[in-house]
Amino acid sequence: MENPEVLGKEGKRVVLLGNEAIARGAMESGVGVVACYPGTPSSEVPMTLSDVAQETKSLYFEWSTNEKVAYEVCAGAAWSGVRALTAMKHFGLNVAADSFFPVIFTGVKGGFVVVVADDPLGHSSAQSEQDTRFYYRMGKVPCLEPSDTQESKDLTKLAFEISERYEIPVVLRITTMVSHSAGTVKLGKIRKPKTTGKFVKDLKRYYNIRPNLQVLHAKLIEKLDKIEKEYGMRLNRIEGRGSLGIITSGVSYQYVKELGRLSNVKIAKLNLTHPISKAFVSKFLKGLKTVIVVEELEPVVENFVREVAKDVNSGLKIHGKDIMSRVGEYTPDSVLQAVAPILKLRKPDFRRHDQDLKKIKIPVRKPVFCPGCPHRSTFYAVRKVMGDNVVWAGDVGCYVLGIFEPFEMQDFMISMGASLGLTHGIKKVSKQKAVVFIGDSTFFHNGMPGLVNMARHGTKPLVMIMDNGITAMTGHQPHPGTEIDGMGIRRKPILIEDVARSFGIKNVRVVNAFDQKSLQSAIRELSKKDELCVIVSRGLCRLVMKRNVRAQGGTLTKFKVVNNQSINCKELVKKFACPAMVMKGGKVFIREDVCLGCGVCMQLAGKGDISPIVKGKKEKE
Amino acid sequence: MTYNILLTGVGGEGVLVTSVILAKAANLDGYEVRGTQLHGLAQRGGSIPTHLRLGKKVYSPIIPRSEADLILGLEPIEAARACFYAGSHKTNFIIDTYPLRPIYADLLGQKYPSNESISKMIEPFAKKLIMVDASNICYKKLGNPIFGNVMCVGVALANDMLPISEKNVLRSLKEIVPRGLEKNLKAFRMGMDFKG
Ligand SMILES: Cc1ncc(C[n+]2csc(CCOP(=O)(O)OP(=O)(O)O)c2C)c(N)n1
Ligand code: SF4
Ligand code: SF4
Repeated sequence: MENPEVLGKEGKRVVLLGNEAIARGAMESGVGVVACYPGTPSSEVPMTLSDVAQETKSLYFEWSTNEKVAYEVCAGAAWSGVRALTAMKHFGLNVAADSFFPVIFTGVKGGFVVVVADDPLGHSSAQSEQDTRFYYRMGKVPCLEPSDTQESKDLTKLAFEISERYEIPVVLRITTMVSHSAGTVKLGKIRKPKTTGKFVKDLKRYYNIRPNLQVLHAKLIEKLDKIEKEYGMRLNRIEGRGSLGIITSGVSYQYVKELGRLSNVKIAKLNLTHPISKAFVSKFLKGLKTVIVVEELEPVVENFVREVAKDVNSGLKIHGKDIMSRVGEYTPDSVLQAVAPILKLRKPDFRRHDQDLKKIKIPVRKPVFCPGCPHRSTFYAVRKVMGDNVVWAGDVGCYVLGIFEPFEMQDFMISMGASLGLTHGIKKVSKQKAVVFIGDSTFFHNGMPGLVNMARHGTKPLVMIMDNGITAMTGHQPHPGTEIDGMGIRRKPILIEDVARSFGIKNVRVVNAFDQKSLQSAIRELSKKDELCVIVSRGLCRLVMKRNVRAQGGTLTKFKVVNNQSINCKELVKKFACPAMVMKGGKVFIREDVCLGCGVCMQLAGKGDISPIVKGKKEKE
Repeated sequence: MTYNILLTGVGGEGVLVTSVILAKAANLDGYEVRGTQLHGLAQRGGSIPTHLRLGKKVYSPIIPRSEADLILGLEPIEAARACFYAGSHKTNFIIDTYPLRPIYADLLGQKYPSNESISKMIEPFAKKLIMVDASNICYKKLGNPIFGNVMCVGVALANDMLPISEKNVLRSLKEIVPRGLEKNLKAFRMGMDFKG
């Protein structure tokens, strides 16, 4: 258990991460089935529940192949009367969307909570900046939004309650500053999960073909109206009084509270952000002169307020995206700067501070491949053999770090598995050489359809599947190719080479990612072929390797530079860029405390330049 | 009043675990605790600032600009990078002077500044600045630089820069890093005894 406090006794006050609080909320709701695909900033919800499942054996947990499958697994369990939860990052909902909508139509029996984590500013996501709140309007599904860790737990419980009462999936929408904020939480009672149920045939419910489809649709609208009536007043709250109003939700509420005691200002905090209660908003707007809507990303609440104001307070001055950005994340400072003129607050003067900040001149620090990372070795070998004039198709995983110097081998990165389809398209209209880089977890997630499509239509790029045995980027979760699953059960790994061969691809080669010679010779041979070729570059994520070695009481052999004037070694610092290799006073050293002993630098350096440290000092914690 | 602590350093230096240790201790002391713990890319050698706020009632998990009471920098240039949150009216700095050169300094030919120039850059933002060669001392005395973070916590406590009880910091240490506890306690003591 990463944080044993999650299992704490009822009544205890502990510090939890937002995501851990959601997991605890699910346990207090007696969740029976949890199925997820990892995605920061939501990953600790499933990681915590995976630990709980392994430790207590009281609930079923799985790492599903992707978010759509995970969502379906949960819906199936909930149809059968068992409480279920899935959690995903915002992009995960794009993947799950095709099933997300129809299950809202059929409804559920056991409570079904869908946790979706948006990531304004993209702390842990590239790809795009996305506000999932539109999905809940389109799908007609209730959405709750906590503002802190305590609420993360409490609203999870409430989400289960609403879901079961109204037989509808309920979304708990969070953002990075909620899911990854830590805070004090008072624990409630853990409920024993019910893990068995029964699927009962019911054409009225599952027959989503017209004319019953329209019956279901009308029923759904009715459900949503009822939820708005029952919870709209109860769940949202008004604080203070005055002729100026602020409407806010999620973490933005905290930034508003950070403004301090405000006179003549009242605040509406929305916990139920879909459906937004018209009655509640009308009541709040009546008698106001000015209202400010503080919400990150799109003006979703603001547009609703504008609609309602037309009827109940047509002279109302409404501010929102006219004073605050639709881009990125808010902070206590950006909210203060925006609302200060309207609320007549004093703005701190930071001119001096700005000047002093400008004087700070320090080197940039971008994220890098860990010491000993198998991906570094693969990128290096491909570049060495194929040169510069190649289209480098990128995908989503630790290997995106190949975008930075010295590799710069990720020309684009769109969504999980997209490298294959995109390259196919490029190759159909251009004779350029292309290499696809895709990870193992990403291959299972959404890479397989792209590879089938290539096999079917005969495109010929070189596909490098970078199999590091784990879903590394998001915090090392198992996938179908990993031996131990999310319940801690040993399973037969599904091998990527078997999958690729089953598509009829003849040139499938498995190579040790830490063996430069074999890697380079396989790339040399297969990149010349006029056929679709797949190289599975296999080497365990070095951090997992380190953990495994330690768990068995062993140590990794470290390496040292013997000839620290060697030109080869100096080249490696620049071209291979292992953080353990550093230059000091024109000489090259390997930092023993940083080296993770992959040995690749030794293979690349001149003979005798680098050697293993035979009696390595014991690494201790 | 809210007490604002910013912990920063490079992935792998123990920034997160330090913040967990302090958060737990503060909770035992009866504070409401709030802060950020960003995971993700930070694991791969990026810089990670972690916010921790203690008080009777705390709202934002992020510290407002220039309102940090303590910046605990486990790496010197990362401490300098955090100056946005610092102001000479209140911010104390404790900096572990063990440098972790970003590989980009070499690749892009950027200079890694000396300790003197780092303290010059930080001075306008600091009420007090303590530099301690914590990781190096731990490397020499305990065989591993990894205990530098805990030594810095000791320094902060000894200099009245952390309104948390020693008793609960020790209790929290015991629960969170039971492995290697002995060395952690030694590092903590070395910090408490450090004369800057
Ligand atoms: C639809 C979607 N779900 C989840 C993520 C989050 N995510 C980013 S990288 C990654 C996994 C990468 O695993 P793998 O391909 O094995 O590469 P590794 O990180 O192990 O190198 C995930 C799940 C995402 N970007 N999009
Ligand atoms: S976590 Fe693993 S796969 Fe990711 S960069 Fe580090 S060693 Fe490489
Ligand atoms: S063996 Fe060489 S390449 Fe591998 S981690 Fe150590 S220094 Fe880096």
